[in-house]
Formats: sequence, C-alpha cells, structure tokens
Amino acid sequence: MKLSLNEIEATAKRAARGAGYSWGLAEEASKAARWLSNHGQDGVAAFAVLLDKGFARSVDHRPLATDEIWQSDGDLCPLVTGAFLSDCAQNLRCGPVVMQRVALPLLILPFAANAASELRCCVRVEMDGHVAITDGDHLLCPDMLPELAERITVQTSQTTPSWRQCDALMCPDPDSWDRLAMLAHRTYAPATEESRLRGAGAGLSDND
Amino acid sequence: MTPVQPQIPRRDPATMMRLSRLGSLHQCRLSFMRILLRRIARENWQVSRPVFDIDRNGVGRAVYTAKGPERAYSLVVFAHDLPDEKRSDRVIADAWDATFTLFDGVPAEADLERLAENVPLQEAGRISRQELSLSRANRSVRLWTHVVDRLASGQQPDLQQIEAVGYLMRTTAVYGSGKFGAADRDVIADRQEMQVPFQAEMLSVYLTRTFVRDLVNHMAGNLGGTQAVRLDPAIARRLGIGNSTGLGMAPFIVNHPILFNNWMMVREEAIARVRAVAQAAPEDAEIFRQLVKRSVVSTERWQSAHPVQLRKLAGLKADLEALLQYLPDWDAHAQRPWNTLIEWSETSLSEEGQELVASLILEPYGALVDGLASCMADSNADAFRIDGSMTVSAVRDLLQESFGWAQALDWNDPANCARAWYVSEEKLEPRMGERFEEPIADYEQPLAPARDAAAAVRALDAWDPKDTIARFLLNHPEHRHTVRRAQMARVAPYGEIRDNTISASVMPVDMLRAKLSFFGATHFDPRSDRWVRICMYAGAPYPEDLTPDNADLWVYPEAGT
Repeated sequence: MKLSLNEIEATAKRAARGAGYSWGLAEEASKAARWLSNHGQDGVAAFAVLLDKGFARSVDHRPLATDEIWQSDGDLCPLVTGAFLSDCAQNLRCGPVVMQRVALPLLILPFAANAASELRCCVRVEMDGHVAITDGDHLLCPDMLPELAERITVQTSQTTPSWRQCDALMCPDPDSWDRLAMLAHRTYAPATEESRLRGAGAGLSDND
Repeated sequence: MTPVQPQIPRRDPATMMRLSRLGSLHQCRLSFMRILLRRIARENWQVSRPVFDIDRNGVGRAVYTAKGPERAYSLVVFAHDLPDEKRSDRVIADAWDATFTLFDGVPAEADLERLAENVPLQEAGRISRQELSLSRANRSVRLWTHVVDRLASGQQPDLQQIEAVGYLMRTTAVYGSGKFGAADRDVIADRQEMQVPFQAEMLSVYLTRTFVRDLVNHMAGNLGGTQAVRLDPAIARRLGIGNSTGLGMAPFIVNHPILFNNWMMVREEAIARVRAVAQAAPEDAEIFRQLVKRSVVSTERWQSAHPVQLRKLAGLKADLEALLQYLPDWDAHAQRPWNTLIEWSETSLSEEGQELVASLILEPYGALVDGLASCMADSNADAFRIDGSMTVSAVRDLLQESFGWAQALDWNDPANCARAWYVSEEKLEPRMGERFEEPIADYEQPLAPARDAAAAVRALDAWDPKDTIARFLLNHPEHRHTVRRAQMARVAPYGEIRDNTISASVMPVDMLRAKLSFFGATHFDPRSDRWVRICMYAGAPYPEDLTPDNADLWVYPEAGT
C-alpha cells in the first residue's frame, strides 16, 4: 500500500507508545520513521523489529555509562540512545561519540541528522565498518545495515559528499506496516456504547 | 518631524490562552477563508464546471475546476441517494449525501474512475498524492426539501426558514495533509497559494458550496419541469455551508503548539498594529462603524439552543448595544483611537464582545495587517528538536512561565483530573471520557499539558539545577514531551492553553471554536459540550461574482440582504 509520510509518522508514534515508550520518545519515533522514509529507507521495517524487542520495559537498554563509550548491560535501544545523541548534539563539537552494541543501527541515523542540523555540518556514522553520512537534509547510506552494530562511531565531518537524489519510500514492507498497526492498536480504548454516546458528545439531533 | 510612536505590546498570553477567551474568538480578515477569497479575486481565478453528470435522483458526479495563475485545483464530487435513516453527521457514519475530494490539477477520466471507487467510502477508501483533501456532506433535511419543493413549484424559499438554518448541506470531516493517502502538507507548502494553512480545505468547501447551489437548482428543475424557477441569487448568497465538528478537532491545537501560536500571534500582532495607529482616517472610522451595525445583523441571525452559548449570545447583543452607545463619544481623531476603543472594551464588554471589537478594528487596515498571513504556517520544523544542553533550572523557568498557575492546583483532586482524552478503537477518533467512571485511563492521550508540566516540575525539583536537561531526560523519558513543549514556548508564547484541559468543567467546544474562528467560521452553535455546528462562507459571492471589491466584507450581512 502506498502511504503518505503523515500516515507513517502517525502510526509510528502510536506503535511506539503501544510498545511501551513514553509519549516523548514515541514522538521521536514518529519523526524518525518519517525522516527515514523520506530519505528512501524503510524505517517502518526497522521499527517493527525494534518494537518487538520489548526494550521499553527495561532500563538495561539505555546508555548507563556515557563518559567514554556509551553502553549498557544489554543492547542499546537506538530510540533512547538516538534521542540522547540528538539532545547532546553539541558534544560532537568536542569529539566523536562511541556506542557499544546498538540494535537496529539504521534508527540512529535520523538522530545523527538532528545533530547535523543543529551543528550545521555533516555527521558521519560508522557502524561496524558501514558508513552513513548526513547533513540533516540528505543521507548517504549503505543498502544493508546489520540488525546489531557492535560499535558505532558518530562524528562531525568537514567534507560534504556529493549527494544522490533519492526517492521517498512510501511503500514500506507490508508485514512490518501491519505489525506497527497492531502495536498502535494497543493505544486505542475498546469501544463501549457509553463511550460511543458520551465520549464524542451525544447532545442534540444530528439529522435535521 | 513626526515623533516615533512607542509600540503597543501584543496582548498577554496569560489572558488570551484561557479557554473561555479562546472560546470567544471571532473570525477576522486573517481567517483562512477570507485570505483565500481575497487571493482568488485578486488573481482572477477562473472557476469552471467541466463535468455535471447527475441524474434525476441526484446521483452522479461533478467536477469544479478552479484555475489560478500557476495551477488548477478540481473539486471532484460524488452525489448519492442516501436513505434518510442513514444520514448522520457523526464520524461513525458510513454513507453521506455527497462525497468530495480536491484533486491537484484537472482529473482525467481514469482519475475519476479511481476516485469513484474510493471517495464515496471516505475513511474506508484510499486516495493518493494527487488529492489534497477528502470530505463529505449531508443535506439539512429541514431546509433541503423545503427549497427543492418551493423552487420546483415556481416559488422562492421562505426567508425565515433560510435564516433558521443558513445552509443546504453541512460537511462533517474535511481531511487533508496526508490523511488516507492524500498528499502530505510538504507537497504543497511551498506553493504561494497554499502557503497559508488550510487553503486546500477552504477551497474545497468554497467549491462545495457552489456545487450545492447547482444541485438544488438541478433537483428542483427535474421535479418541477417548466414550472420550476432557479434559486434567487440573493438568497443563494446568504446560504453558507454548514459544518459539524466534534472532538476530533479539539486535540489539534494542543498537538500543534507552534502552528496554533502562529495563528494567535499573527492576530495579536495585527491588533497591536492597529492599536498603535496614531489617528483614524474618517473613512476608516466609518468602515468600522458600518461593520458594527452589520455585526448586529449577523448576531441576530446567530442561532443556538445551547444554554452556554445562549448566555454568551445575550452578552454579545448587550455588548453591541453598549458599543453603539459608546461610539458617538469615541473620538477617531484623538490619539490612538483604536487603542482607546480596545481599552474601553476591556472594561465594558464580555469576552465575546471584546474579541468581536478586536477583530473588527482590523477591517479598515488591510494594508497594515494582511501581509501577516504569510506568517501563519508552521515552517519551524527545528523547534521539535530538544536542546539537551539547557539546564534543569532553565527548563523549570520555562515551565513556570507557561504553567506557573498549574503548580497550585491539587492534581489529585478528582475534579481537577475528572476527564481523560483517549482514541477509540472504533473510529480511531479522539474522545473524552470520565477517568473515574470508564476504563480509559490506560489509554490516555497526552492532552493535559498543564498536569504534565506540574509533574515535570516536581521531578525537576529533585535534580541539580545546573545539570543538563539531556541527562534528566535520559532518566525521565516520561517528561520528554513536556520538556519539548517547554522549549517550544520560547518561540511560541501563545502555544499553550493556560487552562486545565481535563477538569470536570472543561468545555471542549471552546477548543473547537478557537480553531474554527481562524478558518473563518461564523454562527457557532454548540450542540453539546463537545460538538459544534458552524456556518462557512455565508454571504460570500459565488465564483462568477467574486471581485476584489466584494472579496472581503461579505462576511458581515447588511440589513435586508
């Protein structure tokens, strides 16, 4: 099915919330899914895998140590870690950020893009030898990224590559889309006759 | 040398962002439908009807194409024969008298075939990037039959009945911005004619009104044959398009704080500019005086059965009386006469009256305020990004600025958190329920920024004020949406409602009215505390009559017209 970016954004937000993330992180997920789709990447598929990992229910997947290498007891969640990277964008001026064991490294890229926009320069993300680069508005990214990156290095880059034109990806993997829709469904309150009448406001006749 | 006049500040968000104030806003010359009609007239857009293929029963399709200097947009209409018992304005309806989409360009036959398979299904169908909106409308059964029967028998409809309803059809949802596969806002945001918010939706409703007039003539002609007459253009012009709007719209202004700020700030800037005008030219003062009289006519035609709105209407009528008594003493040649008028209104009129006066003083000053329309869109995507280097104490200060009033509320008192906003499984539409009576709290949407701000402040108080907010958020992701809003407030002083959106006494229709007033809606008629009927484009010239001379003040009816 061909979707709009708005639909991808809205469903990603609800799905992330349905998977247990806070509203603020769900907002990050929605913008990240939209940004990836708009830059030709299947953010929907990546989120479908991430959200099934159940990372939202444990603190083991957020960076506990951030002094030298960002790491935790478990695999790092790219949504939580990416949001922290975006929040700390200014730190990239002082040197690279190195992360250890990050799930779905593709999902770090929208946050690297945030950092690039904030710093008004290119940001280079190396994931176990795979290199992506973004200036916030463009993305160069290898075709296949691993499901888990042992080591990610994020740093500013002074050289601007020659960007390639890329079409938005409006037809994500259908199974992944269905999965996000199912997770989103968890945020919907079951309908009752009472809510049907009261929740939307019955009031006076609507056929006159 | 002329002394430099000190600026007049915009009105305080602490006043303007109260729900009762937002629920008293009126349209003004910066409302979206008025901006659109000015442009159509100025640029001499041509509206044509390349297809009108509707049978005796009112079933078929039509296309209305509006051609501007650079592009064309076409309203594609599917007209249906809806049994009476299926007619409902509720979002849970699944059939309508007419369904519409605004096509980006001029549709080919293949486009029409594709749209015929989907548009009548509304939410259950799919549209594409070629479409900019999706909407539907139902007949007003009170007025439709009366008008068709009268015209068919060679008579014009009864004016009292026209006045009692105000429209022949009312739309319900008008979806845009990527809904159901439609084009994303980004696709059109850079086009001059679409840069102002909701121009595609407003165009679709304007063309819908033309279709409805044509359809009623067509149906009457079929019924009455040679005996039938066409609807008197003067009566047709009084008719607008109705709209029923429910809770689906209320969260919009909470979910788009920058966008809504821009609307409010532009209107407040316009008001401040006019208040700073040193002296009113006689012709400008005269425009204002005339429009006050025409507002009296408009208010007399404003019908509602809702007790709260009836009270407000009585107040507004008394306000207009007071204004008419005050005006002879008001000296348009004195220093800053508009400021004097606004200051008088603040002590003499209800909020309805104050906001009407604030809207009316803009009317003579198009040259001074109309350019602000280009500032109403939200082009500040960067505001979403959290600045994590900000200190805990700085974020706390921002929250205090917008929500200081909320810290004092006892958020555990059931009266202060009686309601919860949720999305229903059934129609995926926002609803509001009773937190302590229905099983909805687990599904609550983040639509209580004040309560959330109070909770965030409590959490921030446990942190070192010099710590970074990034570190706080890593440990408290549950406050992330609140911190984002707090930082947005730096560029969006009118972005937050300064009231409790989950209190036992909240009136969601106030939120609906705030948004609808910026569309340019009139005659707000709450049908409960959470849905409202309005009228759009009543008095507006139809496309063939629209000129720069009549594109602006049509919204104010003249007595006897």
